[in-house]
Amino acid sequence: MQVNHIWRSKRRLAFASAAAVFVLILGACSGSSDQGSQASGDPYTGSLTYWFWGESDVPGSTAWMQAAVSRYEGLHPGIHIELVPQATQTLQGAFQTAAQAKTGPDIAMQWATLPVLTPVWRGQVAPLTGLIPESELSQWLNTQENTYQDKVWAMPLYLLGVPFVWNKELFEKAGLDSTHGPQTWDEFLADCAKLKAAGITPITVGDKEGAFGSWFQSVVGTQTLDSIEELQAVYAGKADFSDPKYSGYLTRLAELKDKGYLSSDVASVEATQAWQNFAQGKGAMTWATDGNVAAWVKQGLGSKFGVGKTPLVGTGKLAQYYDATQSISAFITSWSAEKAQAAAFLTWLHTPENLTSWYTTTGAFPADKRFDPSVVKDPVMAQLYKLDTLPNQLWAENYAPPQVDDQGLRTVAQALLAGSTSASDATSQIAGIIKAWQTQQPDDFKTYAKWAEG
Amino acid sequence: MGPAVHTTVDRTIVAPSPPVKGRRSRGDSWPYVFILPMVVCLGLVFAYPLITVIRNSFYSTSMGETTFSGLENYRSLFQDPVFMTSLFNSLKLLAVVPVVTVVAMTIALMLYEGTKGWRAYRLMVFVPYIIPATAIGISFSYLLQQNGILNITLRGLSLDFLALDWIGNSNIVLFSIGGVLVWTQLGFGVVVFTASLLSLPRELSEAAAIDGATRWQTNRLVVLPQVRGTVEFFLVLQAIQVIAWTFPYVYVLTHGGPGNASSVMDLYVWRYAFQYSSPGLSSAAAVVLLLISGVLIAIYTRLRAKQGER
Repeated sequence: MQVNHIWRSKRRLAFASAAAVFVLILGACSGSSDQGSQASGDPYTGSLTYWFWGESDVPGSTAWMQAAVSRYEGLHPGIHIELVPQATQTLQGAFQTAAQAKTGPDIAMQWATLPVLTPVWRGQVAPLTGLIPESELSQWLNTQENTYQDKVWAMPLYLLGVPFVWNKELFEKAGLDSTHGPQTWDEFLADCAKLKAAGITPITVGDKEGAFGSWFQSVVGTQTLDSIEELQAVYAGKADFSDPKYSGYLTRLAELKDKGYLSSDVASVEATQAWQNFAQGKGAMTWATDGNVAAWVKQGLGSKFGVGKTPLVGTGKLAQYYDATQSISAFITSWSAEKAQAAAFLTWLHTPENLTSWYTTTGAFPADKRFDPSVVKDPVMAQLYKLDTLPNQLWAENYAPPQVDDQGLRTVAQALLAGSTSASDATSQIAGIIKAWQTQQPDDFKTYAKWAEG
Repeated sequence: MGPAVHTTVDRTIVAPSPPVKGRRSRGDSWPYVFILPMVVCLGLVFAYPLITVIRNSFYSTSMGETTFSGLENYRSLFQDPVFMTSLFNSLKLLAVVPVVTVVAMTIALMLYEGTKGWRAYRLMVFVPYIIPATAIGISFSYLLQQNGILNITLRGLSLDFLALDWIGNSNIVLFSIGGVLVWTQLGFGVVVFTASLLSLPRELSEAAAIDGATRWQTNRLVVLPQVRGTVEFFLVLQAIQVIAWTFPYVYVLTHGGPGNASSVMDLYVWRYAFQYSSPGLSSAAAVVLLLISGVLIAIYTRLRAKQGER
């Protein structure tokens, strides 16, 4: 009888355990629809999730933002912000997954213009106009990159230029004038030839991730155009990419490759490694970001390098533009229950104290008119700030449909730099990829075409 | 004949309860209750995602809306040159499998013959297998660059003609990835084959030696036929590994480049799922990958069945 009693107790215990595990599994599967505190009218009470990206552009930006979040929470104890750094490769995909499930971030980030406007067209973004006063929005720089239907949809955090940088010591070694870089494409090629003759790698770039092809289109390819609308017409199906006006930059890229002016490991090293090589004096010229130059200045290498605009290639009006962009933009998701709280935090990031702190910590220029340029002490950085705040700015990659950018502008150019395709074949391939995008994503294409018409 | 022996049964032993109809059915269902949580877990972790992927392969997503599209995703797949390149690259990488098998078996036979310090050699060969794929990818990306350690060494030895752009040249990048795969998988093969060889009875090999067979003849005609089952198992396992598990190496080493020259099936699935937000297309590619793996598993099952018949 005692054995039966023990057996019955064990049976009950086993049954209860199995049932408990089953309930736990069901509970985990049902998930939680609780997105934090209920929406409150108080902009300083609540919980926010901020998916942040910036480290690749601006080293040190994640740490700065984490510290900024801590300061904000200290100022407003009723608010809690969870900062979630994002990876470059999955930035767009991860957001789309969250958008489909309508969960995840209250504040997200995407690269400016098309990567922001595509979620806008899909109803995944709440406009900042209306949440943030116009008097505040008007202080931000480069907001035209994310303006649609007269509304600002995303906040710029910093300005990022892509300056042409040259190594003064190597220029002098090759007998070149180191006080200014080549001004025209012919001068550029002549300098490359002299550097190569002196045993110096003329241009150090890394294209293992495939970004350089897009960059080259943005800094060289657009110089034959008078307006960005001309390039938009190509993606909207109203112009042909095969026209040398649009694809001529591929010929120039092939020329640099064929003449041996690019670093021999361009296809096997990443951009960051190539910039390290450049900083170590293994190449005479490169295209870098303001963030890279700021890091070199911090290392005491500022006097070694000269910065300026890309040599003049074309005669279009865009040849006079500089290439500063806000690069990445922060926006509030349409499903966020804490829009007022998110808007308050984004506004706070643009206080003068934060603008100065951002610059002194990261070296990247805040995208705000209220930033005090007198804190920019270094002459090289001051020169970059002057370039970044010129009236006419354009980064053409922002206007390329993401699929065309990744599969076409980047990947095909990568094959060109690896020597496995020619400029003419690359042109055909990119034209084909544009057509494929138009067919595979008809809704995105229609909306793009409508947007391109203005 | 001795006197009869009488034994006394201890009547204090409790006899088992007589079986009662109701109690028997409740008792029979308990095993199912106990395994229910695990079945639920398996269902959630394995069956549900599998069914979801197959279902998603018949749907397309555009502007955030998902609609049924039938076989359209599969049609797009086979018209996509990048998919075809990825598929053929994955199939080309299968050439790694016989290489790994032959080299691993050769090393295992050498260790089996009682080389001094064979345990240490086995451990050294096995180490690459346990290093995380990401670490291997990063290390080899520095090693195999145009101006990486390998080429610097080759140039130092005046072997400049061998200093190729191992991961930046579209024509040889796949060979480089294959080489990395051989390096990482070799250890596993050596351990599996060595274990199998060590389980064999020594008498047959000794008998063959006594009969005058050379070492090569003994290995070929006596030893290898006995480990045939292990070799078949290893071949199929490695084939599945190469078809479906090269993503970490390719992603870190080359990102599928240059220009998609080293793109493989699982990288293609990842790209369309997470970079291009096209779950339908990536699910269709995953189903194709599943079918290829299924064929390999079917071949293995058939081989095992045939061996069972023997």
